[in-house]
Amino acid sequence: MLFNTPQFFAFLLVTLALFYLSPKPARRWILLAASYVFYMSWNWRFVPLLLSLTLIDYVAAIWMERVEAARRRKIFLVLSLAANLGFLGFFKYYNFLASILAEALRKDPHAFALSIVLPLGISFHTFQSMSYVVDVYRREQKAIRDPIDYALFIAFFPQLVAGPIVRAGEFFANYYQWMPPGSEERLRGVLWILLGLAKKMVLADQFAQIADSYFQNLAAHPGAPAAWSGVGAFAMQIFFDFSGYTDMAIGMALLLGFHFPVNFRRPYLAFSITDFWHRWHITLSRWLRDYLYIPLGGNRHGALMTYRNLMLTMLLGGLWHGASWNFVIWGGYHGALLGLERVLGRKHFQEQPHWLLYPFRAAITFVLVCVGWVFFRAATLTDSMYVIGQLFSWHGKGILIPAWLGFLLALSLAIALLEERFEWIERLARGPAWAYVAAVVALLLSVELIGVTEKAIPFVYFQF
Amino acid sequence: MRAAPVLLASVLVLVAIEGAVFHTGVYPWIVSPDSSTGYVETMLRNERLRPKAGPQVLGIGDSRMLLLPRISNEHTAETGYTFGSIATAGLSPRSWYYMLRDVDPDARLYRAIVLAVESYDDADTLGDPADNDADLSYLIARLRLSDLWEFSRSFHDPSRQWKAARGILLKGLVYKRDFEDLLLHPLYRVHYAKQSRRDSFSWFYDYQGPPDTVADYRVDWEARTLTAPPNADPARVDGLKTRLLAPLPPESGQQSRYLKYWLGKIQQRYRSSPTRLIFLRLPRGGWIRPDQPRYNPHSSVRELAAQPNVTLMDEHFFDSLEKPELFRDELHVNGPGMDRFSLMITQEVSRILGPPR
Repeated sequence: MLFNTPQFFAFLLVTLALFYLSPKPARRWILLAASYVFYMSWNWRFVPLLLSLTLIDYVAAIWMERVEAARRRKIFLVLSLAANLGFLGFFKYYNFLASILAEALRKDPHAFALSIVLPLGISFHTFQSMSYVVDVYRREQKAIRDPIDYALFIAFFPQLVAGPIVRAGEFFANYYQWMPPGSEERLRGVLWILLGLAKKMVLADQFAQIADSYFQNLAAHPGAPAAWSGVGAFAMQIFFDFSGYTDMAIGMALLLGFHFPVNFRRPYLAFSITDFWHRWHITLSRWLRDYLYIPLGGNRHGALMTYRNLMLTMLLGGLWHGASWNFVIWGGYHGALLGLERVLGRKHFQEQPHWLLYPFRAAITFVLVCVGWVFFRAATLTDSMYVIGQLFSWHGKGILIPAWLGFLLALSLAIALLEERFEWIERLARGPAWAYVAAVVALLLSVELIGVTEKAIPFVYFQF
Repeated sequence: MRAAPVLLASVLVLVAIEGAVFHTGVYPWIVSPDSSTGYVETMLRNERLRPKAGPQVLGIGDSRMLLLPRISNEHTAETGYTFGSIATAGLSPRSWYYMLRDVDPDARLYRAIVLAVESYDDADTLGDPADNDADLSYLIARLRLSDLWEFSRSFHDPSRQWKAARGILLKGLVYKRDFEDLLLHPLYRVHYAKQSRRDSFSWFYDYQGPPDTVADYRVDWEARTLTAPPNADPARVDGLKTRLLAPLPPESGQQSRYLKYWLGKIQQRYRSSPTRLIFLRLPRGGWIRPDQPRYNPHSSVRELAAQPNVTLMDEHFFDSLEKPELFRDELHVNGPGMDRFSLMITQEVSRILGPPR
C-alpha cells in the first residue's frame, strides 16, 4: 500500500474516522491495528519479525532500567543491539558479505548467496528501536511499561517504512500529552500531505523516468549534457521522492495529533556539504551523530581522530542505505568532503556566506552532491566511473529534461527560495483562507494534470 | 480559520475549475488534433458543422470503413442522399454509441446510419473488446457524469473500470499526456488546433487514399508462408503474416457479448426513429484465409436484423473488392479500393432506402 495510491488514502480516511470516533482509551489500539494492517499489506510474513524486535527491545529496556549494575545493563544493551543488528545484518547485508567472501575465496560471487526478501522499513524501525534502547541505557529515557505503547512507537504507520527516524523522547512526549489537533494543525496536516503527494507524483516520478532512461541505458546517452541531465534528474527524483514521503508522513502524523521532526530543509540550497547534511535526511544525520559519531569520540580527541570518526560515520551511513560498494563509496565521498571542509576551515562552511557569494557556493555544493548521487544511483561501480567520466567529458549534446519540466523545476526553486526566506508553507495555515485554498487547489491540479498516475511508482527509500 | 469550511471550499474550487475547463468545451477546443481525443473531436465537430440539406446518410466504423463522402456525394443528384462519415481508426461499437449520441442527439437526423462490422459471425479477436481502454481517451470529451456507471462498468477488468470512473470524474487525468504536450509548445498547439478547426473538414473530405498495393506479395496456404517483395515494409509484412497466417483467436463469445450489448444499445436508441440502421461486412482483405470463422446464426447483427429498422447488406456484397491490388496492407483498401468501396456503399444504401420522400 503505497502512500501515493487511492487504496492508501481510503485506508487513511478509515483510520482517521475510526480513531476520532472511538473513545479515547481505544484509540491507541486503533492506531496499532492500523499500523499492523499497513505493514501486513506489504508482506504479512514479516509480522513475527517486527513483533520479535519490538518484544526484545521492550523487555531489554525494562530490564536495563531495573538493573543498577552497569555491567549487567551493558549486557542487556549488547543483547538488544545484537538482535537488532543481527536481523538487519542478515536481511540487508548477508548477500553483500557473502559475495565478498566468495570473491576472497575466488568462488562464484553468488556461491553463498541466499534468496532474501528485505523486510519493509527494517533500516528505519531498527534504528528507531536501537535509539530507544540506547537512550534507556544512558538513562535519558524511561523504559516504556505498556507494550502497546511501545509497539505503536515502533510500528506507527506514517513513519514505519521510511522515517523520519523519531526519537522515543519526541514520540512519547507527544503521545502521553496527546491533544487533538486544532484547526490550524489539521490544515497544516492536509497541506503537508498534498505537498508531499505533489512532490512525489508531479516531480519525483517525472524525473524518475528521465533518470531511469539515462541510467538504464548509459550507452545510448553519451556526452556531458545527457550525463548532467540524467544525474540532475536523479538528484531531483531522490529529493522530491524522499522529502515528498516525509512531508506526507508529517502531515498524517499531524492529523493524528503527533508532531514529527523536520527531515528536509531545502537541501539543494545548501552552501556547503556541512550545510547539506544539516538539511538532508536530518533525522538520520542526527541519529548518526548521537549514536555513532559522538560515541566514537566525535571531535573530542584531536583532529586526526575527528576525521577518522567523521569518515567512519559517513561510511556506515552510506552502508545503511544499501549493501553495495557504491553506497560505501557514496558515504566515503561525503565523509571526505566533510573532512576537507573541516581542513579548509569549519567556520567558512557553517556560516552562511555573503548573499553575493551564496549562489556560487550553492551551485558548487549542488554539483558536488550530484557527483555523489552517481554512486548512489548507478547499478555498478563500473557504471559509476563511466558516468563520472561522461560528466566531465565536455562533449556531446542532448539534454534529457524537457522544457516544461525545466520550467516546473524553476518554479520549485522559486518556491524553495521563498520558503527559505519566509517559511510561507507553514504560514499558509494561519494566513487568509483564499491563499490556503489556492495552494491546495494548485497542488491537486498539478497532481491531476502532471502527476504520474498511470502506475504507482514506489518510493525510492522504501528499498532501504 | 476553521479547517472544515476551508477544506470544503478547496474541494469546491477544484471541482469548479475541473468542471469549467474539462467538462465543457474549453479544453477540447485546444486539444491536440493528432491525439485520440482530438481526432474524435475533429470528426464529430466536422460532422456537426457540415451543412445538411436534404436526406442524410452517415457512415460509422473503424479505420477500415473507408467510405469517402466525396465519392458518394458526386452522385447525390441521382441518389438524392448526402453522405457523411465519422468512422475513426481504432473505434468499436461502444465508442460509436457515444459518438452517435453526440452528432445526433434526437436520433432523427439521418435517413440511415451505415455501420461497418468486421464479420457477421461475431468472430472473436485477441483480447477482450470490452477492455479496450483506448475508448476512454477517444471519448473523454463526450462522456458525461451520467455515463459514469454504465461506461466504467462496461469494462470487465476492475482496474480499467476504476480508471474509467476516475477519468470521467476528473477528466484532467485522461488529458494528462495532452496537457504535458501543451506545456511543451503552447503557442504552436493553439495555432495547430485553430488550423485544424478551420481546415480539417477539407483534409478529410478531399482525402484520396494511397495508391500502394499488396499485389506483389504471395501467399502459400499449403506451406503457410508469405513471400514479400524486396524492400518490403517490415511492419506491413508482419501485419499480413499475423492477419493471414496466425491461428484464429479461440472462440470465447466475448466479441458476441460485447457487440450484442453496444449494437443493441444503438438499435434501441433508433428503435422509434425514422433512421434505418444498415450493417455492412467490411471487405476482409486482399486474400481470404481458408479457415474462416464458423457461421454463427445467433450473432449480434443477425439477431438485430429481425428488428424493423435494421438491414444487413449482403454479407458477400464487397467480395469483389477482396483482391491484393485493391488493398494497401492487411486490413485497408487503397485509394482505388476506397473509390470503389464508397461507390458500392452509395449505390446499395440508396437502393435499400429507395428514392427520398
